[in-house]
Amino acid sequence: MPVTVEVPESVEAVVGALGERSGGEASGRDRRAVVIAGGTQVMPRLNTEVTGIGTLVSLRRAGLAGIEVGAGSATIGAATTLSALGADDRLAFLRPVVESIASPSIRNLATVGGNLFVAQPYGDLAVALLALDAEADLAGAGVSTRAVEELVHDGPPRGGVVTAVRFSVPPEFRYRKAMRRRLNSASIVTVAAALTVEEGTVTAARIALGGAGATPRRAPSAEVALVGGPLDAARAEAAGRAALDDAEPFTDAYASAWYRGRVLPVHVRRALMGETA
Amino acid sequence: MRSRVIVLEVNDEPREFLAPPGTTLLTALREQLGLTATKRGCAQGACGTCTVLLDGEPVMACLVPVETVDGASVATLEGVARAGGELDEVQAAFLEGFATQCGFCTSGMIMAAEALLAANPAPSREDVVRAISGNVCRCTGYESIINAILDAAERRAAVAG
Repeated sequence: MPVTVEVPESVEAVVGALGERSGGEASGRDRRAVVIAGGTQVMPRLNTEVTGIGTLVSLRRAGLAGIEVGAGSATIGAATTLSALGADDRLAFLRPVVESIASPSIRNLATVGGNLFVAQPYGDLAVALLALDAEADLAGAGVSTRAVEELVHDGPPRGGVVTAVRFSVPPEFRYRKAMRRRLNSASIVTVAAALTVEEGTVTAARIALGGAGATPRRAPSAEVALVGGPLDAARAEAAGRAALDDAEPFTDAYASAWYRGRVLPVHVRRALMGETA
Repeated sequence: MRSRVIVLEVNDEPREFLAPPGTTLLTALREQLGLTATKRGCAQGACGTCTVLLDGEPVMACLVPVETVDGASVATLEGVARAGGELDEVQAAFLEGFATQCGFCTSGMIMAAEALLAANPAPSREDVVRAISGNVCRCTGYESIINAILDAAERRAAVAG
């Protein structure tokens, strides 16, 4: 299906291009406009399905790529590729996350902003960003910032675009993704955790899960189970069991809901304990 | 919706052509420019047989609307062999190491290998496995492909040394 491709050279022009055509639903001549960043989500659909998409509004020349790190916090432009993020030594703690996603030739296209809206069981960077309590900057969406947690749940802002994500670099970060294959495979379950440990006691924990619901989600029960004591195997195991209260595992081609539920506590425990095997 | 004039530098030569709206880089290479080494496999970014180098980086050409990369530089398998048709080290290693079976993944594999060796001339086996992790060989001939890429690195080092 032919589509019009717009390649605006500013964020304002992106919002303008979306606004001109965002009114049309999937019917008649006025088919809707969608944002394309890396293309790894929208192009497979355009190549293989009948869609209601009439216009692609590309972020490639809109000036939204780039990483700023300073004073314990980071701002990542929405059109920054996963490869660029994975190559940044200042954010090396995110490298295992990036390298667990797809393959180099996909990561050279796929973007940080796009990863927020990938269907499960993909979207592992979004899981990490939930654990980091990241905020998103928006343009053309009525509000200028939203919590990434809300945005991931609600989906792309209508008529607008994510321009950047921001987060504080955590004292401790843990990540684990269970896959069918060692490389380039979707998530069975993904666990990310940002922890603060003071004098042997976990004083703050943010734990996020993939493969545990329709979108990446926080695991507040697991967080409660972990905070207030030492980071040891028994408490990590208790947090893993508690995470089941926060999870709604699903069945797909990679794993059954039963299997995901069965292994989730194990991977939460291993993530928290920093076990790599 | 009108076709648009696109200019790409393809295998170091400027190429200008008309792209109908929504044309992918893959389709532009194959149908507008007649460069059919780059294959269409899954059209979903899952198989890697359309791997080309876009401004030096390996990407899946089926996922790139060509209008978004107007002015870019693209390298395909057609540009790999040297003048006069002499195979480069990667091609020679694939040929002599029996790393092509049905051949459908080969052009994508070679482009992924070229990208790896350009960035990392002495890769480990693990580096090679990671570099081709987006390229599917349904003949399952991975071991000979991995060995050929490692062999190509040695051949290239010997030439350079």
